[in-house]
Amino acid sequence: MIQVDISKCTGCRRCEVACAFFRTGRVNNHMSRIKVLQLYEEGIDGPVVCAQCQERYCMCCPEDALTLGPLGQIICSPTVCTLCGACEIACPIGAVEIFNDLVYVCDLCGGNPKCVEACTEGAITFEGKEKERPSLSDIKEETRRMKPGLKRKHYIHKNGQKLRAEWRKERA
Amino acid sequence: MLKYGYGGKILRVDLTHRCFRVEVLDPSWIRPVIGGRAANSKRLFQELNPECDPLGPNNILIFGVGPLTGSLLPASAYYTVSAKSPLTGILGDSAAGGQFAAEMKQTGFDQIIITGKADSLLYLWLTESGVEFVDCPELKGKNIIDTSAAIRKSREDWAVQVAAIGPAGENLVLFSTIVSSGNRVNGRTGMGAVMGSKNLKALAVRGARSIDVADPLAFLDQTRKIEKDILKHNEYKKRYQLGTTMLMKDLNGIGILPTRHFQEGVCDYVDDISGQELAGRYKVKNKACFNCNLHCSRYYIAGAYEAEGPEFETLCSFTSRIGCRSLDFALEINFYLNQMGLDSISTSEVIGWLMECQEKGLLKASDLDGMSITWGEVDKIRELIDMIVFRRGIGDMLAEGATRFSSGFSEEAQKLVMQGKGLDMICGDPRGIKAYGLTYAVASRGADHLRAEPYFELTDRKEEAKKRFGTEKAADRLSEEGKAELVTYSEKIALLTDCLTMCKNIGLCMDILDFKKIAGLLKAGTGLDYPPEYLEKITTDAIDLDHKLNIRFGAKKEDDTLPERFQKEPLPSGPTKGSTVDIKKMVNEYYKLHGWD
Repeated sequence: MIQVDISKCTGCRRCEVACAFFRTGRVNNHMSRIKVLQLYEEGIDGPVVCAQCQERYCMCCPEDALTLGPLGQIICSPTVCTLCGACEIACPIGAVEIFNDLVYVCDLCGGNPKCVEACTEGAITFEGKEKERPSLSDIKEETRRMKPGLKRKHYIHKNGQKLRAEWRKERA
Repeated sequence: MLKYGYGGKILRVDLTHRCFRVEVLDPSWIRPVIGGRAANSKRLFQELNPECDPLGPNNILIFGVGPLTGSLLPASAYYTVSAKSPLTGILGDSAAGGQFAAEMKQTGFDQIIITGKADSLLYLWLTESGVEFVDCPELKGKNIIDTSAAIRKSREDWAVQVAAIGPAGENLVLFSTIVSSGNRVNGRTGMGAVMGSKNLKALAVRGARSIDVADPLAFLDQTRKIEKDILKHNEYKKRYQLGTTMLMKDLNGIGILPTRHFQEGVCDYVDDISGQELAGRYKVKNKACFNCNLHCSRYYIAGAYEAEGPEFETLCSFTSRIGCRSLDFALEINFYLNQMGLDSISTSEVIGWLMECQEKGLLKASDLDGMSITWGEVDKIRELIDMIVFRRGIGDMLAEGATRFSSGFSEEAQKLVMQGKGLDMICGDPRGIKAYGLTYAVASRGADHLRAEPYFELTDRKEEAKKRFGTEKAADRLSEEGKAELVTYSEKIALLTDCLTMCKNIGLCMDILDFKKIAGLLKAGTGLDYPPEYLEKITTDAIDLDHKLNIRFGAKKEDDTLPERFQKEPLPSGPTKGSTVDIKKMVNEYYKLHGWD
């Protein structure tokens, strides 16, 4: 899975650009499977990408269009998918989103994620090995009924608070 | 129809009638100006009545991006805002990086042309289908970060980018700014006041269109080379750590750090206010513009104040330039100015000028609502800034800028305003950087370095200087020889970076771009032919056009000069001791190269 360290993120969005470009030949942040948030009010920047959560909320797909790949990644079949939106609603952090009739979710580029290659800061890293997967059950409760954009904001804001406390301590 | 690079459309917004029109961008119109700043100038040249009141409904406010904005090109993150400047009465424009431009590009509009005046405060909600006029009485008087947060919150989308004005812009302070991405500032020439005069609080954008390039593989290949050039550049590490604040010590080291309002070029307490000190004590992380791999910006926390920045200009403006020793104070002011929407350079010039005039007895306390102020008096500086933002008391007059305010005083006092064509001078004493001196004098928006950014003269590359400009002296910062040639070359590259909407630190200071590379990028990006010779020609034409536009606004050759101080008063000490600028000679050479009368 892709590991995110928001303390190193500068908000440059190189990951986002690379993701869209290498998958579609274009640049468009709606078509990125990793999306960067910049919270200017608090100095927090961070990418949101599939966290490969323990719960696998998105796998509730009623059509079974989503399957798990060998690296634990989510793979969506566009031919089976009926665009019902269940996965988008289920994901607690806004890492699954429909745009122009396609489901955008990170599939690790099949094992060589282009976003990680683009990051010069070490804010996102990838090891092929299975890691202990995080639980998103707390966040799930908090972001119920939010739009994906707002879920991402909530998630990054929440993760940012710990970092801000560290900054404050360090700079006191 | 333009398919690649360009969004291919322009948007005309009439605030008076609250209506808009989408037009197709004519390829034959845009190709000779590429995009960004040059396209904005052409639009003003063709459509603006030069006699118009800059703060009236007839002034045209343009937001422009270029064909490669928001693309794979590193730091292709800039947008330029242009209009007739209320501060100077001539061409006004100012660019900013951050994230706004890339999002604007996703709307498919290469230019947004705003005219008229709204009957009440509103913001524009801009998407690929056009604009919505959103009344926002609740945002009146709000600072910039709160404005941006309120709009993003109401849209439930934090990918929305907002360019807003603060109270200073609403109050029509003539050197007020537009700020996007929290702390990214269109600082110079008072574009915030133009927005304020139109009752336009903000532009909020969210686009869904893709940015397509003509030849993705060739474009990828070229941009990767540029990324590598950045990473292996000898200044990379320093710029990564300090950004432009590295210039505090660098300029002090060569004796040109503006100190006590350009009376000196060496600041004895530079170590307390340097970029190194800032990074060591207050920086918490690096920040970056869209798709940049330099990450030269910084976020800091200093007590109650936290923000992105400051860049060198703001840091110097609120430390040595007005005799302040406190880094904490400069960080507080950086935060405050970005929230209120006030240009740090012009604000510092007003204050520094008052200080020097009072020191010399040219201005009495009674001229200043009973206030006397001298170097480094932080409480009074704070108070003055507040008075300017809200146009309170004498602040109402100071909000007109140093040049206008000084006109009510003696000639001696007027001469002490460090300005060119009404625009307050940037931080960098031209007595020790002659090509910069020439740039300040001839820059089409007034005393400013970014029109050419002839950083080359500081890089000590004698052989390269001989090859490029015919004399090794072009690489000698104290020489006036070869500087007209240097400026004439680098103003073209500067213009091209503004048209690609790339960062000048990378494009120019780090010398990453040249005609050939730009030609390749534009070809792969847009599919249109831009051979290097053609680029030479169109940049020459675009610079001519700016010159003609300014003649229409009433500017004359005599205005292309430097304040008397730099021509007659030698710097008193340090590595540039004894130097003055023979500006007339350089300007004449420059005019000759351009074939101007």
